[in-house]
Amino acid sequence: MPEEITGDGAFRVLVADDNEVAQRLCKRVLEKAGYPVLIAADGLQAVDIALKQRPAMILMDVAMPGIDGLEAMRRIKAEIPAMPIVIASAHSMASDRERFLAAGADNVLSKPFKLSDLITIVAQLAAAR
Amino acid sequence: MLPGTGPLRRGSTSWTGTLVRRGTPFAALAAVFAVQALASAEPVVAFPLYLTVVLLVSLQQDRAESVAVAIVAAIALLIRPLATAGQAADVAPAVLLSAVLVAVAVAMNELTRHSREAAAAAQQRVDDLAASERRLRATLESAAVGLALAGPDGTLLETNEPLAVVLGRSREALLGISLADVTADSDREALAGGLELLGGGDIVRWDADIHVVRPDASLLPVGLFMARLPNPISGDESLLVQLADISARTHADSLRDCVAAVRQVVVSSAGLDGALPELLRTFCGYLAWDVAQYWAVDSDQRAMRVRNAWNASGEAVDGFLDASRTEAVVQGTGLIGRVWRSGVLGAEEDLNDVTDYERLAVAQSAGLRSVVAFPVVAGGEAVGVIELASVRARGLQDDEVTMLVTAGVEIGQFIRRTEIAQALRRSEADHRAIYERSPIGIARISSGGEILEANPALLLMLEHDEETMRASAWPDLLRAYDQAAARQHKAPFLAGISDGRSVQVRAATGAGKWLWLQLTATSIPDASGRPEHVLVMIEDVTAVRETSDKLAEALGAQRDANVNLEKIDRTKSEFLSIVSHEFRTALTGIQGFSELIRDGGLEPDEVRAYGGYIFNDAERVNRLIGDMLDLDRMESGRMSMRATDVDVNDLLMEAISRAAPSAVSVEFKSDLDPRLPVVTGDRDRLIQVISNLVNNAVKYSPEGGTVTLSSRVEGQFGLVSVSDTGIGIPQDEISHVFERFRRVRSGAAQSIPGTGLGLTIVKQIVEMHGGKIWVESAVGHGSSFHFTIPLVAEDAKTLQLRHA
Repeated sequence: MPEEITGDGAFRVLVADDNEVAQRLCKRVLEKAGYPVLIAADGLQAVDIALKQRPAMILMDVAMPGIDGLEAMRRIKAEIPAMPIVIASAHSMASDRERFLAAGADNVLSKPFKLSDLITIVAQLAAAR
Repeated sequence: MLPGTGPLRRGSTSWTGTLVRRGTPFAALAAVFAVQALASAEPVVAFPLYLTVVLLVSLQQDRAESVAVAIVAAIALLIRPLATAGQAADVAPAVLLSAVLVAVAVAMNELTRHSREAAAAAQQRVDDLAASERRLRATLESAAVGLALAGPDGTLLETNEPLAVVLGRSREALLGISLADVTADSDREALAGGLELLGGGDIVRWDADIHVVRPDASLLPVGLFMARLPNPISGDESLLVQLADISARTHADSLRDCVAAVRQVVVSSAGLDGALPELLRTFCGYLAWDVAQYWAVDSDQRAMRVRNAWNASGEAVDGFLDASRTEAVVQGTGLIGRVWRSGVLGAEEDLNDVTDYERLAVAQSAGLRSVVAFPVVAGGEAVGVIELASVRARGLQDDEVTMLVTAGVEIGQFIRRTEIAQALRRSEADHRAIYERSPIGIARISSGGEILEANPALLLMLEHDEETMRASAWPDLLRAYDQAAARQHKAPFLAGISDGRSVQVRAATGAGKWLWLQLTATSIPDASGRPEHVLVMIEDVTAVRETSDKLAEALGAQRDANVNLEKIDRTKSEFLSIVSHEFRTALTGIQGFSELIRDGGLEPDEVRAYGGYIFNDAERVNRLIGDMLDLDRMESGRMSMRATDVDVNDLLMEAISRAAPSAVSVEFKSDLDPRLPVVTGDRDRLIQVISNLVNNAVKYSPEGGTVTLSSRVEGQFGLVSVSDTGIGIPQDEISHVFERFRRVRSGAAQSIPGTGLGLTIVKQIVEMHGGKIWVESAVGHGSSFHFTIPLVAEDAKTLQLRHA
């Protein structure tokens, strides 16, 4: 994987989360695992970055100011239907998971999460590309 | 020739006779002339002879002939003097004589003509009279009515055959007897009066309906007409008498009158029993029956019995009536039974010839000869039989049969009508009783909406007298009905009610008691289908209504409680969802960085930084738990308050000095009212309120912003305001800022930490102190949070008590 860190083939992950602690944690963990990280602090930013910078995937929080993660996902998928989006939310009841998948999420990661789970989900999507 | 003279007298004469008659005078003149010539006599001598001939001819012959004869004679007289030398003395006497002859002939002729004419006229009068007499006689003989010539005293002089027939005698037997002799005793006086009037010359004709007596002593009704008949020849007065048999007409009249009388009786009677005596009397009186009885069907329908009887005859028939009273006639037997069964009229014209008559023996011993019985038909069956009996044997004519049957039908219809009327009266009485005694109020309303009648129950229910009911209570009720109907989208009271649906209205009684009334209106149409009046039933449903109202109230309360429970449940779920989200968000950092540190391989700087994140989030979790517990205690009323004297201005200054050091980018201002008195409250909680508001103001203020704290007295309250020049709160969020976890989420607020419970707690504390809190804000210009705190100690005591 180290070869993917740099160059055009890099698997860039957009982390969209309004919580700075969560941003830092994800950035730290994913970069350590070899995935370049882009950060968006709310839904509109996430849409903007996703469409302009075309990351390989998006890790999307739901409860964000402005438009929420689900609305941002809808807008992005409308433009780039193939964009893999993983919802990472502290809404972690079983019904929430179903709700997110139904809204078009490719996968769901409940907060708080084990770091290995985050790495595994991203690695799966990277491998599938 | 005068008409009717010659031929009538002389008959027909032959032409030879005529020749002889015409020639004879001239022959006589010739003979005289011959004698004169022979004797050479003087004209004077011959003149008497000529004159004789002329006179004779003038008497016998017509004018032309006699003049012709006279002229010839004159010429004969003149011939000789003229022929013999014409001596004037001789000729002159001859001429004179000739002229005399002619003049005599003309004069005679005139005389003769006058006398003939007079004779002819006299003869004509005699002939006319004779013809008139012949015509009169022919008229007398051929007239269909009875005619007679009578003397002024009524003595019959001449009669025709019809008159003899009417009087039942021969023409010969009638001659010489007086009209009075054949007149019934009862009418004789009237006749005498009539004769006297005619004889006295007061009147010329007289007529009357009288009865004449026939040789068998029977009376016959006749129309008598008498006219004075002057005799121009004899000068005697005589009478023309006309007699017509009017028995047929009288019979028809009596039948007609009887029917009319029967109708009169039934029209003027209320019931059969009242009408019966008069009806039976009518049959006897008009139709000349001696006994009349009414047979009615028994109540058990098995026999007929006499219900009423009329005796127009006398004691002789009492036995018959007694026997009838005890008789029970079975259908089909005897005359009455047969009529009952068949429903058609039956008659026994002569009881001597019958055997099937139930009371034959008593009838015969009572001297009765004829009976007739006819049914009284009502509703298609005989309900009674009327029996008429007569001491004379009498036949029944068709018209009388028809009349009796008609009368039977009419009496039947009358019985039917009275039965219906009685049933109606009974029915009406029943309904009246229902109306009067019904526990439900009933009112009859005119099509104009006025109350016509109200039953006692209604007056009792509404505690009104009839007058008040009419004048005010009913109009009020009507208005209430229309209003209630309008609410239920029903037609107003007078607009065609036919469905009988009910409307409930509230109404006050005369005593001021409020009732719930249920009004059910039904329109009653008249014969043409137009609503004539409205019947309205009024029920007091107060008890029912109150019970149902209570039930509805209870159900409503139950429903509200359920709604509240659902709301609480939903709020609880939402709260849990939000709280767990907040905790998990905080735990994400704690767990993630802890895992990083645990797995090792970090730089010391990294470990320190991650430890800091963990600490902050742990503290946040702790704060969250504290706020939640505080809020729970406040909301459940278990929060304890320590009431002390508090100087709010001091608290505000302390808050500024506490916040200022950590908020270097913000300028603080204060505008405090020195008159604000010391209030009673929980100092620590009030500090919490002010700090929270100040921290919020600082948090949402941009760099270089200003936070202003002010205080002033507003009536019974101290007013505290914390204003910032920050981002402001969107209009749609303002009403929610004091709700739990309603943190304003905007781009600039994203990084501001908080539990989302601060303002909710602040609101609770302010309200616990008896104050209010609200916010004014404009996006981009900042927000102002205001709260009040009561200045009056009383309120503080209440506060202490409430939260002790």
